[in-house]
Amino acid sequence: MLLFRSEVHIERWSETWRQPRGSLLSIEQVWGLAQAWYADDRRRPGWRRKTMAEAQEIFTSLGLTSPFWQL
Amino acid sequence: MDSLDIEVRRIIYDGFLAQGAAPGKKLIARLLNLPEPDIDAAFERLGEAHQLVLQPESREVLMANPFSVVPTAFKVTCGTRSWWANCIWDALGVSAMIGQDGVVETSCPDCGEALRLEIKASRLQPAEGLVHFSVPAARWWEDIIYT
Repeated sequence: MLLFRSEVHIERWSETWRQPRGSLLSIEQVWGLAQAWYADDRRRPGWRRKTMAEAQEIFTSLGLTSPFWQL
Repeated sequence: MDSLDIEVRRIIYDGFLAQGAAPGKKLIARLLNLPEPDIDAAFERLGEAHQLVLQPESREVLMANPFSVVPTAFKVTCGTRSWWANCIWDALGVSAMIGQDGVVETSCPDCGEALRLEIKASRLQPAEGLVHFSVPAARWWEDIIYT
């Protein structure tokens, strides 16, 4: 999960390193993911990992609905 | 998840949040006044549950998401303290978890140019950048270190 300057840079990197093109997200979408994933205090005894359904709901809420994002 | 695992997890995250580093198994055993094999076993259970990622040989913490024990390409600074994060999602996650303004520093993997993201009052400031996820979501934990 890497940050690039632009799509041109992603394309060049994919070609140079023979990496398949995956999914491209805006930094705002990744900030949304970060807040949804990490705002809850993991020191709490009751904290648990998200279920698949919960994770899928977060992805959907951020517009991440392509097959790449299906769990 | 048993109560020892929960307590070990809390100590590890406390370590990162308060001191910027994860305590090792020996120190945790001393803090809890328990034999080291009990802590070894707790680490393995937390690893299997995907709540920690362990170093391959020492079996000490490598990652307690969003934090990395080892230096990475993602440095996060909140106030006077800094942490290493595992990826750009985790880097933003450090600021979200700590709940403070933060700065994420990394570089473009293609051209090497420095990239910087800033969070102020829980808002991501406008900045250059686009994020690439290589591995489909269903396969992230096949090799979480690569992911």
